[in-house]
Amino acid sequence: MIARASLIVAALALLTLWSSAFIIDEREQAIVTQFGEFKRAITTPGLEWKLPFVQTVHRMERRLLGSDAPPAEYLTLDKKRMVADPVTRWRIADPLKFFTTVHDQSGARARLDDIVLSEMRREISSHNFGDIVGNEREPLMQAVAARTGEKALAEFGIEIIDVRIKRADLPREVQESVFARMRAERDRIGKQYRSEGEEEAAKIRADTDKEKTIMLARAYESAQKLRGEGDALSTKIYAEAYSKDPEFYTFTRSLEAYERVLTKDSTLVLSTGSELFRYLGQPAKK
Amino acid sequence: MRDPFSGNGGPLGSGPDVEALIKKIRGHLGRIIAVLVLVVMVGTVAFGFYSVGPGEQGVVRTFGRESGKTGPGLRYVVPLFQQVDVVNIEQVRRIEVGFRAKQRVQSEALMLTGDENMVEAQMIVQYRVTDPSKYLFRLKDPEDTLSAAAQVALRGMVGRTTIDDAMTTGREKVQAETRSWLQVLMNNYQSGVTITEVKLQVVDAPDEVRESFHDVVRAREEKEQKINQARGYQADLIPGARGESQQIARSAEAYREQRVLRANGDSARFLSLLEEYRKAERVTRDRLHLEAIERVLSAVQKKTIIDAQVSRGTLPVLPLGEPQTGRTP
Repeated sequence: MIARASLIVAALALLTLWSSAFIIDEREQAIVTQFGEFKRAITTPGLEWKLPFVQTVHRMERRLLGSDAPPAEYLTLDKKRMVADPVTRWRIADPLKFFTTVHDQSGARARLDDIVLSEMRREISSHNFGDIVGNEREPLMQAVAARTGEKALAEFGIEIIDVRIKRADLPREVQESVFARMRAERDRIGKQYRSEGEEEAAKIRADTDKEKTIMLARAYESAQKLRGEGDALSTKIYAEAYSKDPEFYTFTRSLEAYERVLTKDSTLVLSTGSELFRYLGQPAKK
Repeated sequence: MRDPFSGNGGPLGSGPDVEALIKKIRGHLGRIIAVLVLVVMVGTVAFGFYSVGPGEQGVVRTFGRESGKTGPGLRYVVPLFQQVDVVNIEQVRRIEVGFRAKQRVQSEALMLTGDENMVEAQMIVQYRVTDPSKYLFRLKDPEDTLSAAAQVALRGMVGRTTIDDAMTTGREKVQAETRSWLQVLMNNYQSGVTITEVKLQVVDAPDEVRESFHDVVRAREEKEQKINQARGYQADLIPGARGESQQIARSAEAYREQRVLRANGDSARFLSLLEEYRKAERVTRDRLHLEAIERVLSAVQKKTIIDAQVSRGTLPVLPLGEPQTGRTP
């Protein structure tokens, strides 16, 4: 009998312990309610105690969570359409508010997406397309995150870490016109390359021709100078030598000239009166 | 999470002959409890062992709270009260952006550039878990988060680059900036990962315009070809011209030398002759004259010698201009 009673008591004690001790993991945080009434929030991990049977533990994530809203079409300031796909990183900062307003993660995601979409719409409509794609993206996303963060914290106890545009693309129909523009641009660049090639080639050829002409002219110039020098020097040498006896020079040079000028085809009419034939008729000494 | 109190509860079942069972149990109660306690203790000891391999780190939680880290070796945790996660902190892990296992994922790969063109980019991100606690406990789905953040970073950086830069010279820059921006994002997310490398695999024009891009490449090659042809013309012509001018120069130099040498020769000859001539002017003069006349007259074939008396009358009427070649024998 005593053994049976002690067994029951032990079982009851275990059940009580089971119902009052609980562990909150590193990944979790929780709130404790008593018949639906909020008692306390637990935001650090460890072994915790509660009143058995009357208090309930509601666990939720302590880690950073993400929500990827579906891509939506937006209109930019310069009236271009853009498809953007925002990703939000958030975490539960106020477990009670979170639990009472959105209850769980899927509820939170639905509400968050609504806020993010409307903030995105507002920000995107006040910026030009090119800026959103390029340099203005970062400040824009920070503005969206800041405003979404304020609302989410006040309304749902959610802290927004950041909001990012995963994709910022053009709608399908617009892409085709972008491709057409890209093709036109490439055609232009291609033509430019080709004509640049011709330009460059013509330049090289012209330079070559010029270089050649100048080179030959320079050669001619120095050649003529050399020739002139040769002529001058030889003239000087001849003059020095021949001026020693100009008459004798004229004599010998004339004789040379006769030999050259009178060849075998020449016709010569001579008089016997000439010096050569002086002895032809009369052998006597004059 | 394992239930810390699941060790008992076995003997409380009910069967067809409960009475007999209870009686039996009552008889051996003490012994049964002793056996149960022993089993639990042995189990506790046996299941508490775990091993941490090289390059790994164990993160121990006691009652759910992180209580320490363990290095490689055989380690022990108290079951039911402690848990451990072993994370490899040396292994280089990777994710793919724009493709999966060599298959292109068009929606991920296609992106806008800063000059509102579109490119297709594929990228590999390599990373390591450097802070296991953060990796395990601070961020849900670190891999998915990294994948999304990698896209955010890549698109952000390509969005600041022109298409030509992104495809050519700006690649390295896009790569480096994507890496650092991705690291900033992942730090913000408490991910505990370090991006070791970001590699842009492909940055190319989309299919729809690729042909036009290839044509530009061809055009650039044509340009190079034309320039090379012109260079060929140059290479062909200039050495020829150089040779020609050398030739001109050499022949002019030769002419100059020739003139001088000939003048020296001529004058030396004249001077020697003059010297001898001076010794016997009359005779030498006659000799030179007669020799020369002799050479001239012997070379000339058609000679007419007229007597001095006759010549005075007839000479003016001789038909000197008549062509005489060949007719007179």
